[in-house]
Amino acid sequence: MRISIDVTEIEPDMPTIQARGLTKRFGGNVLAVDHLDFDAIPGGVTGFLGPNGAGKTTTLRMLLGLVSPTSGSVRIDGTDYRHLPNPTMRVGAVLEASGFHPARTARNHLKVIATMAGIPFSRVDECLDLVGLSDTGDRRVGGFSMGMRQRLELARALLGKPDILVLDEPANGLDPQGIAWLRDFLKWYASESAGGSDSGRTVIVSSHLLSEAQLVVDDVIVLAAGRLAAQGKLQDLLGGTKRAVRVRTPDTERLVQALRVANLPASVQDGYVVCEGVAPEVVGPIMVENRIEVHEMVSSTESLESLFFELTGGEGMHPGHAAGLMGDYRQFAEGPPAPPAPPPPPSGQADR
Amino acid sequence: MLRLLVAEIRKLWTIWSTYVLVGILVVVDLLFGFAIAFAPGGRRGGTAGIVPHGSTQWFTNVFSVLDNSRLLALVLGVLVITGEYRHKTVTPTFLAEPRRGRVVTAKLGIGFGGGIVLGAVTMLMGLIVGLVLVALKVHSCVTYAPRVGQLVRPLSVQQGMAKAMCSAQHGVYFVASAHTMWHDWSRIAPGVVLGTGLFAIYGLGLGALLKNQVVAIVVGLGFTLVVETIIGAIWPSIGEYLPGQAATALEDAARTSFRGTDMQLLPWWGGAIMLLVYGVALAFVGTSTTLRSDIT
Repeated sequence: MRISIDVTEIEPDMPTIQARGLTKRFGGNVLAVDHLDFDAIPGGVTGFLGPNGAGKTTTLRMLLGLVSPTSGSVRIDGTDYRHLPNPTMRVGAVLEASGFHPARTARNHLKVIATMAGIPFSRVDECLDLVGLSDTGDRRVGGFSMGMRQRLELARALLGKPDILVLDEPANGLDPQGIAWLRDFLKWYASESAGGSDSGRTVIVSSHLLSEAQLVVDDVIVLAAGRLAAQGKLQDLLGGTKRAVRVRTPDTERLVQALRVANLPASVQDGYVVCEGVAPEVVGPIMVENRIEVHEMVSSTESLESLFFELTGGEGMHPGHAAGLMGDYRQFAEGPPAPPAPPPPPSGQADR
Repeated sequence: MLRLLVAEIRKLWTIWSTYVLVGILVVVDLLFGFAIAFAPGGRRGGTAGIVPHGSTQWFTNVFSVLDNSRLLALVLGVLVITGEYRHKTVTPTFLAEPRRGRVVTAKLGIGFGGGIVLGAVTMLMGLIVGLVLVALKVHSCVTYAPRVGQLVRPLSVQQGMAKAMCSAQHGVYFVASAHTMWHDWSRIAPGVVLGTGLFAIYGLGLGALLKNQVVAIVVGLGFTLVVETIIGAIWPSIGEYLPGQAATALEDAARTSFRGTDMQLLPWWGGAIMLLVYGVALAFVGTSTTLRSDIT
């Protein structure tokens, strides 16, 4: 399901989303977003990364016309969101603080929006199906869990089959299976060609969970304190950073020895043997050769994190807190691919 | 715009609070109607000061008291707009239609329609009350007592006997008739229905301006029930331009009902214009100030 598209090939295409000098000042003195310039292009997932309070949500809400910029602009194909004729058909948005009337059923919630956008109700059932809520569609949203609300929010965003999808911290409230499903879904959605163009769709995901984001995004926009810290393709940004392999084994000493013999840097950290700057493909054969018993082997994906801390100076993020969050997800993020989640895999929906 | 209107109707009928509001309206209408009808000794009103059971003035009082249901229309108007902020459904709404003025315009239309429906339900309840009163043949006898003046005697005996007793005492006999009932009902209904509809617009304007559900309801009801009453009593020439009295002016019978006799009122069309101006002006100011603010 991992589809990677070389975005450089379609570089001549106009970016679908362009921000220029985008600035937002709240209450006169809080500068949430400060002269931000960025582009998002179709065919890939663009990660909008930054610590809490970096201005991610504010920027996305300006893109969606919910918050007015103090100065500057963010445009969709050269048009403000507020001037799009029927924005539901162009842009789908999954927002954290979006609301549901607790007494309204999920299906009716979608029907209200479908009515506003002139979308047939058959599409409502399709979308409920797509996010795995078809059985709970007639229940009141008041009884929904956080994860179910998040799925309903995604269903609403997909109603108009938009070619731009904007998601603000979509992983919040989802269980590990749900996150894995969402990851596959976003990659598929971004790569699938939309309408008449072959360049795929534009997907923007904001996240503070870097190890998770790293598995999904093709392009990265890093925000720190409302300013652009870095923008580019993920591989390019990570080009210079180190990789590492961590191994848990009862034969710690022998492994360190073997690695050093192979001229690789090896050290012991927290009971793990850590080998920096190499791929698992290098470490694996050495262990087999030396008949070293392995209990766990992890290829480090902390590179985006370290890059991130480098760029943002660790600002606004408590290292302990961040590490805790990463730790929660690392287990599944780096483990074997999750089995298909209850919602049907997105490939079954390619009926456009 | 048609889509927005249909979506607004769908929003209303997919939540139970709408049905609760209609339920409260039905109960309140029936309670008020019967309470006024069976108030002991008739009600003060008209020039006579006494309203005999079964008279046309009596029916006028019964039906015109129902215009109080416009307060529920005000609440409906407030809910239509502030409910979106309370439950944050304003985010998906403004995502689907970012031109906020259009959303508010659709809400004004649906608020008016909803208010008209509430007014129609109210007068339907009035009709039921009236039919029950006619079926019960509620009657009374007005006699003249030398020292006290006019006396109303509700008679609890059978109609035929009551009539005979009344004429024996040289009194004037009244009995609730379908003809009187219909005459009064059809005179009052249009004003109550229109006033209720326009009051929903007024509530919507308040909601658009204040955005907070509780504040808007408290301000709306407090102003109508307390502030307006005080101003109307002290400066009647100002009071007649205020929303509550503007709505009362819509009712043709209001001038002769027990509440309207000591009130200074605009002509009915003047009342309609004032109410519309209040609602639309508040909604316009609300749209260009409060509703323009960021949705975070």
